[in-house]
Amino acid sequence: MRVFLVILVLFLILGMGLFHTLYSVPGLDAGAVRIMQLRRVEGTLVRYPDALPSLLEMMNEKSHANFDPDPMFLDSLSDERLFENPILYINCDELPNFDFSSEENEALRLYMELGGFVYLDAGIKASFLGSDLGHSYAAWEERDEVRAWFGQIFPEKIFSPLPRNHEIFRTFYKGLPDNEYLRLEESQKRLPDTVLSFVEQEKWPQGTYSLVGMKVKERLACVASPICAMGWGRDEFGAWIPPISFRIRESAEDFDETLQTASFSGQTYEVTREDGLKDEIYLIPGQRPLWVKEPAGRWRIFKYYSGEEISNYAHSFYARLGMNVFLYALLN
Amino acid sequence: MRISAFFVLILPCFIFFSLIGKEGNLSLPLDRKLSDGNLSNKPVDLPRHSTIDGTLDDTALKLKSKNIEERVGAAKLLGKYPGPQAGLLLIGALEDSSELVRRAGMVSLVEHFHNGSPIYEQPLAEKIFSKIADPDVEVRREVSALTPRLVPGLMRSGIERIQLNGRTLIRSIPRTLREDLRLLAQQALLDSDSIVRQNILKYHYSLRLQIKPETLVKLLEDHDIGVLLVALDQVRMYANQPGILQKMEALTAHPDVGVRSKTAKISLGLGHSFPEYRKVLRLLTQDKVDEIATLAAVDLARMGERVSSEMVDRIILYLSQARGLYGKAEALFYSLSALGPTSARVYQSLLDHPSAGMRAQAWGNHLRISSGWKDPANWIPALNDRDLKVREAVLNQVRGRVEEIQKDHLQLLSAHKFPEVRVLAAEMLLVADKQLVKESFFDLLIDESPLVRSTTLRALANLRTDGWIDLHARSLNDDEFSIQQAAMEGLLGDVKSGAPVLLEYVQKFPSSQISTLAKNELRKMGLMP
Repeated sequence: MRVFLVILVLFLILGMGLFHTLYSVPGLDAGAVRIMQLRRVEGTLVRYPDALPSLLEMMNEKSHANFDPDPMFLDSLSDERLFENPILYINCDELPNFDFSSEENEALRLYMELGGFVYLDAGIKASFLGSDLGHSYAAWEERDEVRAWFGQIFPEKIFSPLPRNHEIFRTFYKGLPDNEYLRLEESQKRLPDTVLSFVEQEKWPQGTYSLVGMKVKERLACVASPICAMGWGRDEFGAWIPPISFRIRESAEDFDETLQTASFSGQTYEVTREDGLKDEIYLIPGQRPLWVKEPAGRWRIFKYYSGEEISNYAHSFYARLGMNVFLYALLN
Repeated sequence: MRISAFFVLILPCFIFFSLIGKEGNLSLPLDRKLSDGNLSNKPVDLPRHSTIDGTLDDTALKLKSKNIEERVGAAKLLGKYPGPQAGLLLIGALEDSSELVRRAGMVSLVEHFHNGSPIYEQPLAEKIFSKIADPDVEVRREVSALTPRLVPGLMRSGIERIQLNGRTLIRSIPRTLREDLRLLAQQALLDSDSIVRQNILKYHYSLRLQIKPETLVKLLEDHDIGVLLVALDQVRMYANQPGILQKMEALTAHPDVGVRSKTAKISLGLGHSFPEYRKVLRLLTQDKVDEIATLAAVDLARMGERVSSEMVDRIILYLSQARGLYGKAEALFYSLSALGPTSARVYQSLLDHPSAGMRAQAWGNHLRISSGWKDPANWIPALNDRDLKVREAVLNQVRGRVEEIQKDHLQLLSAHKFPEVRVLAAEMLLVADKQLVKESFFDLLIDESPLVRSTTLRALANLRTDGWIDLHARSLNDDEFSIQQAAMEGLLGDVKSGAPVLLEYVQKFPSSQISTLAKNELRKMGLMP
């Protein structure tokens, strides 16, 4: 009995110490972790103003983490406050450009070397998306601008795709949202059949996504993803905003022949896949992709689905993924 | 010779027909041919591709195939060719016996209109909307989601020619939904699928569909939160219909916080026109969740009802525990003005809140409502806050309003670690005792921040302290342009004594950085350098 009590007390002490280490940051009055967000200039385009505060609120509700739901905005990476907080969030689509001074690059390098974590949302973006910021496309490499930028900060390092079994994908949530999570009756269809099977098997298997990361001193210090913030926002009553639609690949028995000869007047773009091979995307510039020729010679068509159920599912996924990334950043 | 003939005659023909392709038309756009320089965009091997007509003919044949997979593939492909011909083929596919084909057909039709444009063609819109009764739920969901864009085609008004007492009259036909479609829409409001219910409910107003009170009551009992939230949005239009108020009262006990919160918001809006809805808010003040109860109480206060002291304590407790100024806490915070003078107690309790946003707003409101800006002892501690937002909120409240300052307070401000606070110290010289100004200004004049130094110069010029002209004359040679500018402005402010000194400087140092600006200003005053 005495041994049990000693062990219990030890666990409590260790647990409290761990909790303090995890959730308190020196310099903060109340121990709440403040997420920093880079916003270059006031008045520039803010794509999803509700996104990060909603996600921080959700993390506070669903976990024992203690985040200040009010992000701290920095307009320069040479701001001294950078070193006061452990996580820096950047929505790359909100940056007017990727011009960073040498002081900023040096500060970011030091920040990452000292243990800071950088989340580059929209750090992955297929080239054919152009300036259409409302899209994401799961390419498996960082966008050119990010590569060039980090080439100045860490010339000796490169971004690498995170494997599907990486712990970042299961830090808090595991797998895809089910009916219970989506607050649907068991009998209710979560998604159209073709969409659900594509999502489960290819788009987001087991709740994973195309993330690339960079290690600094053997620690994952930076993660880039296709735009996820569009999936984090909620209104004051808890409803998701804004609506999101899905692009999925569909096949048919004769597509391998039909799509090769079907009428087409556009361009093709190559996009890197998870296996490092290239998909050949067929599209008319300025419009959404039509179909794809996959490396094994398979042809599939892109179909677009929208609606409440699609949007709710996408939001749930992106929010769960965002939460996994931030909590991973906090714990590692 | 033969080789030359091949290059001159045969090869160009071969290239020409290759470009024409097997269907014999030149559909390769010029810009694509020119895009070869872009390494990432490979030119498409055009000869393999058919024409649009050819593709649509092939697809039309496949839609008649006995093989379901072929029909599905054809319906999917048609989505890529928006236009009347593909549209007609897809409309036909909506009648297919296989739900897989109907689904693919509907998704492709939606794809045709994905640019957000409305569907004006009445037969097309009516045909699509009739599928709101399709046995397959995926088809119904697609139709319900497409409803807003079907409305222009479904609801087009018209004119009719009638004979009245032997005279021919032309009169307008009001915008209505076809009777059979109206019945289908009424049924869809109670569809077995919650997404369909939610969509039709959301768009029923644009369909000019009057919801029967018993239907809305059922929807206000819906087990799906999404449907319920949309149903609550519709209550405004049906507030005086039988059973609705009772249902709203019942919703005050709903297990979902979002639903109760929305019930409060809707009742607030209704409370002005329908006083009986204030009862809903009164019920919500008993809610076990602080954020709901406090919001309801503040909403009642907006309508002139008194808030009890216990409820103010609850508001304080809720906001003190809120993690930041966001969401419902933000909504509540910005509604506090409805409490009148009572709100001062709430703001004061939040001055040490962990959230910088909350502290900033609390300090701003606290100083404004309590007139706390009058006494520096009230607000000087807040200027030590680590967050610039909080310091700026305080500075904004006190700047230009403080009427006097004591020596110890001015010393605290002058020696402060934050430059924006030292700027305030420089501004405070204007209300300080003459002796205190004499004792304090030097430290501010040698401050590391140019803004502090220039503000000090401006204050001294304003006060006309002993020796200020010499000080300003010397400052014209400062390395910082902002200091030179402040010195110039100070001297210009005194036509009798200051301006001649500036004139002398300009004549002595015509190429100095400030001289050009100074010359212009002096000319405006009629003084020619």
